[in-house]
Amino acid sequence: MTVVIGFEGSANKIGIGIIRDGEVLSNPRRTYITPPGQGFMPSDTARHHRAVILTVLKEALEQAGLKPADIDCVAYTKGPGMGAPLVTVALVARTVAQLWGKPLLGVNHCIGHIEMGRLITKANNPTVLYVSGGNTQISNDPSPGYNIEQMAKRGSQYVELPYTVKGMDVSFSGILSYIEEVSHKMLSSGQCAAEDLCFSLQETLFSMLVEITERAMAHCGSQEVLIVGGVGCNLRLQEMMGVMCKERGAKLFATDERFCIDNGAMIAQAGWEMFRSGQVTELEDSWITQRYRTDEVEVTWRD
Amino acid sequence: MAATDGERNKLEFSLDVPFPSSREAAIALRSLSPDREPRKGGISKQLTVSDSTLSVRWSADEARILRVSVNSFLDHLSLVMETMEMFGPRCPPQ
Repeated sequence: MTVVIGFEGSANKIGIGIIRDGEVLSNPRRTYITPPGQGFMPSDTARHHRAVILTVLKEALEQAGLKPADIDCVAYTKGPGMGAPLVTVALVARTVAQLWGKPLLGVNHCIGHIEMGRLITKANNPTVLYVSGGNTQISNDPSPGYNIEQMAKRGSQYVELPYTVKGMDVSFSGILSYIEEVSHKMLSSGQCAAEDLCFSLQETLFSMLVEITERAMAHCGSQEVLIVGGVGCNLRLQEMMGVMCKERGAKLFATDERFCIDNGAMIAQAGWEMFRSGQVTELEDSWITQRYRTDEVEVTWRD
Repeated sequence: MAATDGERNKLEFSLDVPFPSSREAAIALRSLSPDREPRKGGISKQLTVSDSTLSVRWSADEARILRVSVNSFLDHLSLVMETMEMFGPRCPPQ
Protein backbone atom coordinates (compact mmCIF):
# COMPACT_ATOMS: atom_id res chain seq x y z
CA MET A 1 0.00 0.00 0.00
CA THR A 2 1.44 3.35 -1.04
CA VAL A 3 0.04 6.72 0.02
CA VAL A 4 1.21 9.86 -1.76
CA ILE A 5 0.31 13.46 -1.04
CA GLY A 6 0.55 15.87 -3.99
CA PHE A 7 0.88 19.68 -3.98
CA GLU A 8 -0.15 21.73 -7.01
CA GLY A 9 -0.05 25.53 -7.43
CA SER A 10 1.60 26.35 -10.76
CA ALA A 11 -1.22 28.65 -11.92
CA ASN A 12 -4.22 30.16 -10.17
CA LYS A 13 -5.42 26.96 -8.53
CA ILE A 14 -3.88 25.68 -5.30
CA GLY A 15 -4.73 22.08 -4.60
CA ILE A 16 -3.44 19.33 -2.32
CA GLY A 17 -4.57 15.76 -2.84
CA ILE A 18 -3.91 12.35 -1.32
CA ILE A 19 -3.95 9.09 -3.28
CA ARG A 20 -3.67 5.56 -1.96
CA ASP A 21 -3.11 2.92 -4.64
CA GLY A 22 -5.31 4.61 -7.23
CA GLU A 23 -7.96 5.80 -4.78
CA VAL A 24 -8.42 9.55 -4.33
CA LEU A 25 -8.76 10.02 -0.56
CA SER A 26 -9.00 13.81 -0.62
CA ASN A 27 -8.55 16.61 -3.14
CA PRO A 28 -9.32 20.08 -1.72
CA ARG A 29 -8.61 23.06 -3.96
CA ARG A 30 -8.89 26.86 -3.99
CA THR A 31 -8.93 29.14 -7.04
CA TYR A 32 -7.48 32.64 -7.15
CA ILE A 33 -10.07 34.76 -8.94
CA THR A 34 -9.08 38.21 -10.16
CA PRO A 35 -11.49 41.10 -10.76
CA PRO A 36 -13.18 41.16 -14.19
CA GLY A 37 -10.92 42.34 -16.98
CA GLN A 38 -7.72 41.21 -15.28
CA GLY A 39 -5.63 38.10 -15.73
CA PHE A 40 -3.75 36.62 -12.76
CA MET A 41 -0.20 37.87 -12.09
CA PRO A 42 2.56 35.79 -10.48
CA SER A 43 3.14 37.72 -7.24
CA ASP A 44 -0.58 38.16 -6.48
CA THR A 45 -1.18 34.50 -7.24
CA ALA A 46 1.69 33.49 -4.95
CA ARG A 47 0.24 35.70 -2.22
CA HIS A 48 -3.13 34.00 -2.60
CA HIS A 49 -1.60 30.52 -2.41
CA ARG A 50 0.56 31.47 0.56
CA ALA A 51 -2.50 32.64 2.48
CA VAL A 52 -4.44 29.38 2.08
CA ILE A 53 -1.94 26.59 1.53
CA LEU A 54 -1.58 25.45 5.14
CA THR A 55 -5.37 25.40 5.58
CA VAL A 56 -5.75 23.33 2.41
CA LEU A 57 -3.04 20.97 3.66
CA LYS A 58 -4.90 20.46 6.93
CA GLU A 59 -8.10 19.81 4.96
CA ALA A 60 -6.38 17.25 2.75
CA LEU A 61 -5.21 15.27 5.78
CA GLU A 62 -8.50 15.62 7.67
CA GLN A 63 -10.70 14.68 4.71
CA ALA A 64 -8.53 11.63 4.02
CA GLY A 65 -8.61 10.75 7.73
CA LEU A 66 -4.83 10.38 7.75
CA LYS A 67 -1.90 11.46 9.90
CA PRO A 68 1.48 12.51 8.44
CA ALA A 69 2.91 9.13 9.54
CA ASP A 70 0.52 7.43 7.06
CA ILE A 71 2.04 9.25 4.08
CA ASP A 72 4.78 7.47 2.13
CA CYS A 73 5.90 10.24 -0.21
CA VAL A 74 5.48 13.99 -0.72
CA ALA A 75 5.01 15.00 -4.36
CA TYR A 76 4.85 18.58 -5.62
CA THR A 77 4.84 20.42 -8.94
CA LYS A 78 8.41 21.12 -10.02
CA GLY A 79 7.16 22.91 -13.14
CA PRO A 80 6.19 24.19 -15.62
CA GLY A 81 4.23 27.23 -14.49
CA MET A 82 4.55 30.62 -12.86
CA GLY A 83 7.69 31.06 -10.76
CA ALA A 84 6.45 32.73 -7.58
CA PRO A 85 3.45 30.42 -7.02
CA LEU A 86 5.59 27.35 -7.77
CA VAL A 87 8.12 28.42 -5.11
CA THR A 88 5.42 29.01 -2.49
CA VAL A 89 4.09 25.50 -2.90
CA ALA A 90 7.53 23.86 -3.15
CA LEU A 91 8.59 25.49 0.13
CA VAL A 92 5.75 23.84 2.03
CA ALA A 93 6.28 20.48 0.32
CA ARG A 94 10.01 20.50 1.12
CA THR A 95 9.37 21.51 4.71
CA VAL A 96 6.75 18.85 5.49
CA ALA A 97 8.81 16.18 3.69
CA GLN A 98 11.65 16.94 6.11
CA LEU A 99 9.42 17.33 9.18
CA TRP A 100 7.72 14.01 8.50
CA GLY A 101 10.87 12.25 7.29
CA LYS A 102 9.39 11.32 3.90
CA PRO A 103 10.99 11.26 0.44
CA LEU A 104 10.26 14.16 -1.88
CA LEU A 105 9.25 13.93 -5.56
CA GLY A 106 9.23 16.77 -8.08
CA VAL A 107 6.52 16.17 -10.67
CA ASN A 108 5.98 17.66 -14.13
CA HIS A 109 2.53 19.33 -14.09
CA CYS A 110 1.58 18.02 -17.55
CA ILE A 111 2.53 14.46 -16.59
CA GLY A 112 0.22 14.96 -13.59
CA HIS A 113 -2.69 15.70 -15.94
CA ILE A 114 -1.85 12.72 -18.13
CA GLU A 115 -1.44 10.19 -15.31
CA MET A 116 -4.65 11.34 -13.64
CA GLY A 117 -6.48 11.04 -16.94
CA ARG A 118 -5.18 7.50 -17.37
CA LEU A 119 -6.13 6.54 -13.82
CA ILE A 120 -9.67 7.89 -14.02
CA THR A 121 -10.52 6.70 -17.52
CA LYS A 122 -8.49 3.46 -17.49
CA ALA A 123 -7.36 4.23 -21.05
CA ASN A 124 -4.75 1.67 -22.07
CA ASN A 125 -2.31 3.38 -24.41
CA PRO A 126 -3.95 6.59 -25.60
CA THR A 127 -2.83 9.49 -27.72
CA VAL A 128 -3.07 12.31 -25.19
CA LEU A 129 -4.27 15.79 -26.01
CA TYR A 130 -3.30 18.08 -23.15
CA VAL A 131 -5.15 21.34 -23.65
CA SER A 132 -4.87 24.00 -21.00
CA GLY A 133 -6.44 27.39 -20.40
CA GLY A 134 -4.36 29.67 -18.22
CA ASN A 135 -4.31 33.40 -18.27
CA THR A 136 -6.84 35.39 -20.31
CA GLN A 137 -7.96 39.00 -20.23
CA ILE A 138 -11.61 38.66 -19.30
CA SER A 139 -13.55 37.72 -16.17
CA ASN A 140 -12.06 34.79 -14.33
CA ASP A 141 -15.14 33.74 -12.43
CA PRO A 142 -16.09 31.37 -13.87
CA SER A 143 -13.08 30.85 -16.14
CA PRO A 144 -12.88 32.66 -19.51
CA GLY A 145 -13.08 29.40 -21.41
CA TYR A 146 -16.25 28.47 -19.59
CA ASN A 147 -17.80 31.83 -20.52
CA ILE A 148 -16.87 31.33 -24.18
CA GLU A 149 -18.30 27.82 -24.06
CA GLN A 150 -21.65 29.00 -22.70
CA MET A 151 -21.92 31.82 -25.24
CA ALA A 152 -20.89 29.49 -28.07
CA LYS A 153 -23.83 27.21 -27.23
CA ARG A 154 -26.14 30.12 -28.14
CA GLY A 155 -24.27 30.97 -31.35
CA SER A 156 -25.13 29.55 -34.75
CA GLN A 157 -23.70 31.72 -37.49
CA TYR A 158 -20.29 30.47 -38.60
CA VAL A 159 -17.81 33.26 -39.27
CA GLU A 160 -14.68 32.21 -41.11
CA LEU A 161 -11.57 32.70 -38.99
CA PRO A 162 -7.87 32.01 -39.71
CA TYR A 163 -7.08 28.30 -39.45
CA THR A 164 -3.40 27.51 -38.96
CA VAL A 165 -2.11 23.97 -38.75
CA LYS A 166 1.26 22.83 -40.05
CA GLY A 167 1.90 19.15 -39.49
CA MET A 168 1.76 18.71 -35.73
CA ASP A 169 1.97 22.42 -34.97
CA VAL A 170 -0.88 24.84 -34.40
CA SER A 171 -0.75 28.60 -34.22
CA PHE A 172 -3.30 30.73 -32.41
CA SER A 173 -1.69 34.14 -32.92
CA GLY A 174 -3.32 34.66 -36.32
CA ILE A 175 -6.79 33.98 -35.02
CA LEU A 176 -6.22 36.16 -31.96
CA SER A 177 -5.08 39.22 -33.90
CA TYR A 178 -7.85 38.70 -36.45
CA ILE A 179 -10.53 38.61 -33.74
CA GLU A 180 -9.06 41.68 -32.04
CA GLU A 181 -9.16 43.61 -35.33
CA VAL A 182 -12.56 42.68 -36.67
CA SER A 183 -14.76 41.75 -33.71
CA HIS A 184 -15.60 45.31 -32.73
CA LYS A 185 -16.58 46.19 -36.31
CA MET A 186 -18.57 43.00 -36.85
CA LEU A 187 -20.47 43.33 -33.59
CA SER A 188 -21.32 47.01 -33.92
CA SER A 189 -22.42 46.64 -37.54
CA GLY A 190 -24.72 43.81 -36.47
CA GLN A 191 -23.07 41.42 -38.89
CA CYS A 192 -23.03 38.81 -36.17
CA ALA A 193 -23.51 38.47 -32.43
CA ALA A 194 -20.85 37.83 -29.79
CA GLU A 195 -22.32 34.35 -29.41
CA ASP A 196 -21.62 33.66 -33.09
CA LEU A 197 -18.00 34.74 -32.70
CA CYS A 198 -17.58 32.46 -29.68
CA PHE A 199 -19.19 29.64 -31.62
CA SER A 200 -16.89 30.22 -34.62
CA LEU A 201 -13.85 30.50 -32.39
CA GLN A 202 -14.57 27.12 -30.83
CA GLU A 203 -15.37 25.44 -34.15
CA THR A 204 -12.12 26.71 -35.67
CA LEU A 205 -9.78 26.11 -32.76
CA PHE A 206 -11.21 22.74 -31.87
CA SER A 207 -11.01 21.61 -35.50
CA MET A 208 -7.32 22.43 -35.41
CA LEU A 209 -6.89 20.36 -32.25
CA VAL A 210 -8.86 17.46 -33.71
CA GLU A 211 -6.73 17.56 -36.87
CA ILE A 212 -3.41 17.31 -35.02
CA THR A 213 -4.77 14.63 -32.71
CA GLU A 214 -5.88 12.59 -35.71
CA ARG A 215 -2.48 13.04 -37.33
CA ALA A 216 -0.74 11.84 -34.15
CA MET A 217 -3.02 8.80 -34.01
CA ALA A 218 -2.25 7.97 -37.64
CA HIS A 219 1.51 8.25 -37.02
CA CYS A 220 1.40 6.11 -33.87
CA GLY A 221 -1.30 3.65 -34.94
CA SER A 222 -3.26 4.58 -31.83
CA GLN A 223 -6.89 3.64 -31.22
CA GLU A 224 -7.48 5.69 -28.07
CA VAL A 225 -7.64 9.42 -27.35
CA LEU A 226 -7.43 10.94 -23.88
CA ILE A 227 -8.17 14.67 -23.43
CA VAL A 228 -6.73 16.26 -20.29
CA GLY A 229 -6.28 19.85 -19.06
CA GLY A 230 -8.90 22.46 -18.20
CA VAL A 231 -10.11 22.89 -21.78
CA GLY A 232 -10.83 19.16 -21.76
CA CYS A 233 -14.00 20.02 -19.80
CA ASN A 234 -15.43 21.64 -22.93
CA LEU A 235 -18.33 19.53 -24.23
CA ARG A 236 -18.07 20.74 -27.82
CA LEU A 237 -14.40 19.73 -27.97
CA GLN A 238 -15.31 16.31 -26.58
CA GLU A 239 -18.12 16.06 -29.14
CA MET A 240 -15.91 16.97 -32.12
CA MET A 241 -13.14 14.65 -30.97
CA GLY A 242 -15.77 11.96 -30.53
CA VAL A 243 -16.88 12.30 -34.15
CA MET A 244 -13.32 11.91 -35.39
CA CYS A 245 -12.77 8.88 -33.13
CA LYS A 246 -15.98 7.22 -34.31
CA GLU A 247 -14.88 7.65 -37.93
CA ARG A 248 -11.61 5.88 -37.10
CA GLY A 249 -13.16 3.25 -34.83
CA ALA A 250 -11.21 4.67 -31.90
CA LYS A 251 -12.25 5.29 -28.28
CA LEU A 252 -12.41 8.71 -26.65
CA PHE A 253 -11.67 9.30 -22.96
CA ALA A 254 -12.18 12.51 -21.00
CA THR A 255 -12.45 13.43 -17.31
CA ASP A 256 -14.77 15.82 -15.49
CA GLU A 257 -13.88 19.19 -13.96
CA ARG A 258 -12.66 17.66 -10.69
CA PHE A 259 -9.69 16.26 -12.56
CA CYS A 260 -9.29 18.18 -15.84
CA ILE A 261 -8.76 21.38 -13.90
CA ASP A 262 -5.47 21.62 -11.97
CA ASN A 263 -5.64 19.71 -8.69
CA GLY A 264 -3.35 18.15 -6.08
CA ALA A 265 -4.44 14.54 -6.59
CA MET A 266 -3.07 14.50 -10.15
CA ILE A 267 0.37 15.40 -8.80
CA ALA A 268 -0.04 12.71 -6.15
CA GLN A 269 -0.95 10.16 -8.84
CA ALA A 270 2.06 10.98 -11.04
CA GLY A 271 4.14 10.94 -7.86
CA TRP A 272 2.73 7.52 -6.95
CA GLU A 273 3.83 6.08 -10.32
CA MET A 274 7.26 7.69 -10.15
CA PHE A 275 7.86 6.71 -6.52
CA ARG A 276 6.88 3.09 -7.09
CA SER A 277 9.30 2.90 -10.02
CA GLY A 278 12.09 4.06 -7.72
CA GLN A 279 12.36 7.79 -8.40
CA VAL A 280 13.06 10.34 -5.68
CA THR A 281 14.06 14.02 -5.77
CA GLU A 282 16.93 15.12 -3.53
CA LEU A 283 16.28 18.42 -1.75
CA GLU A 284 19.22 20.10 -3.51
CA ASP A 285 17.64 19.16 -6.86
CA SER A 286 14.12 20.20 -5.88
CA TRP A 287 14.34 23.71 -7.41
CA ILE A 288 11.30 24.78 -9.37
CA THR A 289 11.41 25.64 -13.05
CA GLN A 290 9.02 27.71 -15.15
CA ARG A 291 9.89 25.81 -18.29
CA TYR A 292 9.70 22.04 -18.12
CA ARG A 293 8.94 20.11 -21.29
CA THR A 294 6.79 17.03 -20.98
CA ASP A 295 9.29 15.05 -23.07
CA GLU A 296 12.14 15.88 -20.67
CA VAL A 297 10.68 13.52 -18.08
CA GLU A 298 12.10 10.02 -17.95
CA VAL A 299 9.09 7.73 -17.81
CA THR A 300 10.40 4.88 -15.68
CA TRP A 301 6.99 3.49 -14.75
CA ARG A 302 5.75 2.52 -18.19
CA ASP A 303 7.21 0.64 -21.16
CA MET B 1 23.19 46.01 8.28
CA ALA B 2 23.65 47.30 4.74
CA ALA B 3 27.05 48.56 3.74
CA THR B 4 28.63 49.70 0.57
CA ASP B 5 32.04 48.59 -0.49
CA GLY B 6 33.29 51.43 -2.65
CA GLU B 7 35.90 49.33 -4.38
CA ARG B 8 33.53 46.71 -5.72
CA ASN B 9 30.39 48.91 -5.73
CA LYS B 10 28.37 46.11 -4.20
CA LEU B 11 25.69 46.38 -1.55
CA GLU B 12 25.75 43.75 1.16
CA PHE B 13 23.03 42.66 3.53
CA SER B 14 23.21 40.05 6.22
CA LEU B 15 20.51 38.35 8.23
CA ASP B 16 20.81 35.93 11.13
CA VAL B 17 17.71 33.99 12.09
CA PRO B 18 17.60 32.08 15.40
CA PHE B 19 15.62 28.83 15.52
CA PRO B 20 14.50 26.83 18.57
CA SER B 21 16.75 23.94 17.52
CA SER B 22 19.53 23.09 15.08
CA ARG B 23 17.21 20.58 13.39
CA GLU B 24 14.72 23.30 12.53
CA ALA B 25 17.43 25.62 11.29
CA ALA B 26 18.70 22.83 9.04
CA ILE B 27 15.19 22.13 7.72
CA ALA B 28 14.73 25.81 6.92
CA LEU B 29 18.05 25.87 5.11
CA ARG B 30 17.21 22.88 2.93
CA SER B 31 13.75 24.26 2.11
CA LEU B 32 14.97 27.75 1.25
CA SER B 33 18.19 27.08 -0.66
CA PRO B 34 17.19 25.03 -3.76
CA ASP B 35 15.48 27.74 -5.83
CA ARG B 36 17.59 30.15 -7.84
CA GLU B 37 17.11 33.91 -7.71
CA PRO B 38 14.44 34.77 -10.30
CA ARG B 39 16.62 37.62 -11.54
CA LYS B 40 19.57 36.38 -13.56
CA GLY B 41 22.21 38.96 -12.62
CA GLY B 42 22.94 41.68 -10.14
CA ILE B 43 22.17 39.68 -7.00
CA SER B 44 23.47 36.63 -5.19
CA LYS B 45 22.84 35.16 -1.77
CA GLN B 46 24.34 32.49 0.40
CA LEU B 47 22.62 30.50 3.11
CA THR B 48 24.48 28.75 5.91
CA VAL B 49 23.59 27.19 9.25
CA SER B 50 25.60 27.28 12.44
CA ASP B 51 24.06 25.44 15.41
CA SER B 52 20.50 26.76 15.50
CA THR B 53 21.06 29.95 13.52
CA LEU B 54 20.34 30.34 9.82
CA SER B 55 22.53 33.03 8.24
CA VAL B 56 21.89 34.68 4.90
CA ARG B 57 24.35 36.94 3.07
CA TRP B 58 23.32 39.00 0.07
CA SER B 59 25.48 40.81 -2.43
CA ALA B 60 23.74 43.12 -4.91
CA ASP B 61 24.51 45.79 -7.49
CA GLU B 62 21.52 48.01 -6.74
CA ALA B 63 19.44 48.80 -3.65
CA ARG B 64 16.17 48.12 -5.46
CA ILE B 65 17.23 44.62 -6.49
CA LEU B 66 18.50 43.92 -2.96
CA ARG B 67 15.23 45.09 -1.42
CA VAL B 68 13.12 42.86 -3.68
CA SER B 69 15.22 39.81 -2.93
CA VAL B 70 15.28 40.37 0.83
CA ASN B 71 11.52 41.00 0.96
CA SER B 72 10.85 37.87 -1.04
CA PHE B 73 13.14 35.83 1.22
CA LEU B 74 11.42 37.07 4.37
CA ASP B 75 8.02 36.03 2.95
CA HIS B 76 9.39 32.60 2.15
CA LEU B 77 11.09 32.29 5.53
CA SER B 78 7.88 33.12 7.37
CA LEU B 79 5.96 30.52 5.34
CA VAL B 80 8.55 27.86 6.21
CA MET B 81 8.40 28.81 9.89
CA GLU B 82 4.60 28.73 9.92
CA THR B 83 4.67 25.32 8.27
CA MET B 84 7.09 24.00 10.90
CA GLU B 85 4.93 25.42 13.66
CA MET B 86 1.74 23.87 12.31
CA PHE B 87 3.06 20.50 11.16
CA GLY B 88 6.22 19.96 13.21
CA PRO B 89 6.58 17.59 16.13
CA ARG B 90 5.81 20.24 18.74
CA CYS B 91 2.25 20.99 17.57
CA PRO B 92 0.88 17.96 15.68
CA PRO B 93 -2.24 18.61 13.58
CA GLN B 94 -5.52 17.24 15.07
